[in-house]
Amino acid sequence: MKKASSTSAPDRAIKTSAREVDDLKSALDQHAIVAFTDPQGKITYVNDKFCAISGYTRAELMGQDHRIINSGYHPKDFIRDLWATIGRGQVWKGEIRNRAKDGSFYWVDTTIVPFLNEDGRPRQYVAIRADITRRKLEEEARRLAEERYRTLFDYAPDGIVVADANSCYVDVNSSACRMLGYERSELIGRHASDIVAPGEREQVGKARDVLEIGGRYQREWQLRRKDGSIFTAEVIATAMPDGNLLGLIRDITERKEAEVVTARLAAIVESSNDAIVGKDLAGIVTSWNSGAEAIFGYSAREMENQSITKLIPPERQHEEVEILERIRNGGSIQHFDTVRLRRDGSPIDVSVTVSPIRDGTGRVVGASKVARDISGRKRAEAEIRQLNASLEERVKERTAQLEMANRELEAFSYSVSHDLRAPLRAIDGFSQAVMEDFGPALPAEGQRQLTIIRESAQRMGELIDDLLAFSRLSRQPLGKRETDLNGLVRDVWDSLTAERQERAVEFTAGNLPPCSGDPALLRQVWFNLLSNALKYSRRRNPARIEVGASREQGRTVYFVRDNGAGFDMRYAGKLFGVFQRLHKAEDYEGTGVGLAIVQRIVNRHGGRIWAEGIPDRGATFHFTVEGVGEP
Amino acid sequence: MNATKPFDLLLVEDNPQDLELTLRALRKAKIANQIQVARDGAEALELIFGADGKGPAAGAPLPQVVLLDLKLPKIDGLEVLRRIKGDARTKAIPVVMLTSSREQQDVVESYHLGVNSYIVKPVDSERFVNAVRDLGVYWLLLNQPLSNL
Repeated sequence: MKKASSTSAPDRAIKTSAREVDDLKSALDQHAIVAFTDPQGKITYVNDKFCAISGYTRAELMGQDHRIINSGYHPKDFIRDLWATIGRGQVWKGEIRNRAKDGSFYWVDTTIVPFLNEDGRPRQYVAIRADITRRKLEEEARRLAEERYRTLFDYAPDGIVVADANSCYVDVNSSACRMLGYERSELIGRHASDIVAPGEREQVGKARDVLEIGGRYQREWQLRRKDGSIFTAEVIATAMPDGNLLGLIRDITERKEAEVVTARLAAIVESSNDAIVGKDLAGIVTSWNSGAEAIFGYSAREMENQSITKLIPPERQHEEVEILERIRNGGSIQHFDTVRLRRDGSPIDVSVTVSPIRDGTGRVVGASKVARDISGRKRAEAEIRQLNASLEERVKERTAQLEMANRELEAFSYSVSHDLRAPLRAIDGFSQAVMEDFGPALPAEGQRQLTIIRESAQRMGELIDDLLAFSRLSRQPLGKRETDLNGLVRDVWDSLTAERQERAVEFTAGNLPPCSGDPALLRQVWFNLLSNALKYSRRRNPARIEVGASREQGRTVYFVRDNGAGFDMRYAGKLFGVFQRLHKAEDYEGTGVGLAIVQRIVNRHGGRIWAEGIPDRGATFHFTVEGVGEP
Repeated sequence: MNATKPFDLLLVEDNPQDLELTLRALRKAKIANQIQVARDGAEALELIFGADGKGPAAGAPLPQVVLLDLKLPKIDGLEVLRRIKGDARTKAIPVVMLTSSREQQDVVESYHLGVNSYIVKPVDSERFVNAVRDLGVYWLLLNQPLSNL
């Protein structure tokens, strides 16, 4: 600043102009933040406003480098450009952020005017600034808000669309594009009716009408993807201040499917004949299906929010405590048979299954209880028990009867054995006595007839003996054990030496696997079969007798074969009957009991016997020992 | 007490035909020994143990053999056998069962009670005669009885 120093006319003129300058300056000081610096940037003047906004006193600022208020906010290029501009003597304008003494920032709209000396170089700089901090903060806030909106718009999982007054899209987010299967560019400009299912297009207009009078419009829409597929979406639309419409689209396909599943499950629960009951951990009923109504007689209204203990008989109350304790620990109860009370107080047998109900985090929050009415089953069980008891009683009775019959049979056999033979002995004995004492006096015919009487008596004695042997077989207990048949058959064959004396007999014995049976009875079987074979083959020269075994259907089948008289297969059924004979007594002696005994023994061992024969060609007897039958 | 005279063979038989045939067979076998017949078990016991049933007096003669039928009126053969073999004074008397029964239980029971022999009466009269003859010869002639020592 130059100091006025004269009072001449020009001086006056100067004075006047100096006053004007002062006036201007004080006016400027009222409006703006003003600072002067020398070419090196040292502060040479600051006004009050500068001091006020920077927080420094004038004394602190004078002579200091102007950079004292630099905030470091602006990039280096920005600062370099500023200095280059004013260094060239040009005015620089711009917005600068400065830092006050207390560290806070303020924004100033800045004009820097360089003043040049005679050689055109800057002599000093005058900076005039206006405080624009508030505007800058508002701009920043707006920018952040815009950015937040954009982020929300871009990243929202729901589809967001903006449509103009004609329902054409002006903006869509990426979720909307993904849901609808379009590129963003394809959706912009498209009409709303393009993305709804054909059947719902008229709804677009209705929505429009509602939105025009303000407020929100919320509806489940059937929306149509680019590929034509349809999905269910919930859409909330609102009118925005600028007249555009904002739509939020949520794909609720999964929710709808879950609703269907839930509805189906609910229908199952409701249609079940079992009682299905929900309860919380305090035993308070939360749900009650119609099965529960039918079984217990309480309606859902009567039971919901009531304690389940209402159903439990006093002496069983402890069960609920134990059940809830187990449920709390995540356990469950399976098919627990117990008794509960109906509404009318009558007891009912139920089978109860209780499982924990967990929330989304896995915490047990309640229990589901399924109770099945098992009173029918219990009744049936009781009936079965009773039937079993009466069956046992009947078995006992029948056993007693059988034992009695058996004892009678034994007594009968005993009598037969003892009493029937005595008269026979008398017939035979006295016939002989007659022959001895009076023989010479008898004519030959009388002697012949007496002989017939004697032979008949003797034959009847044999028949009685065989019949008794046969009946003994049924009464005798089986002493089963593993029996070596090769040795047994060899013994039996050796014992039959007398029967094959002076005969040519070829005997072939194949391997006979051992079997489980009563050795004495099995010996009887082989003895009877082999002596039969010898008897019926005695007119053969040589007689051929073969024994052996084969494996058929998992069982051992033994056989005895001879080349003797054989038999007619038409009478095969009679072979094993007691006293049944297929040959004349004159040809082959015997009582007809031998094969009946064999069959009885085989049957008692659970086996089976059958025979094949051809008259005059021989016979083969097959039999098994083990099978189903007496243990 | 024991008023009966001594006898060598006691035949206990209720059936008159069997009795006659047995005696005939013994006669034919020329067995001349003294034969006493009892027609039931009670009579047989009386002959051995006396009418009061107290038992044979010391030194009283005992039969050399008893031929005993099983099935008898009043007291059956097994009981007679039990009494004879159960008394120290009589258990040395040889007892032969001569019976129609070939029932296993009778045979087993008889041997358990100490029978000396068990013969099933054959129906065939020749075999019957032979059996009785062999019995008589064996027990009365061949066998050395205790009482004669």
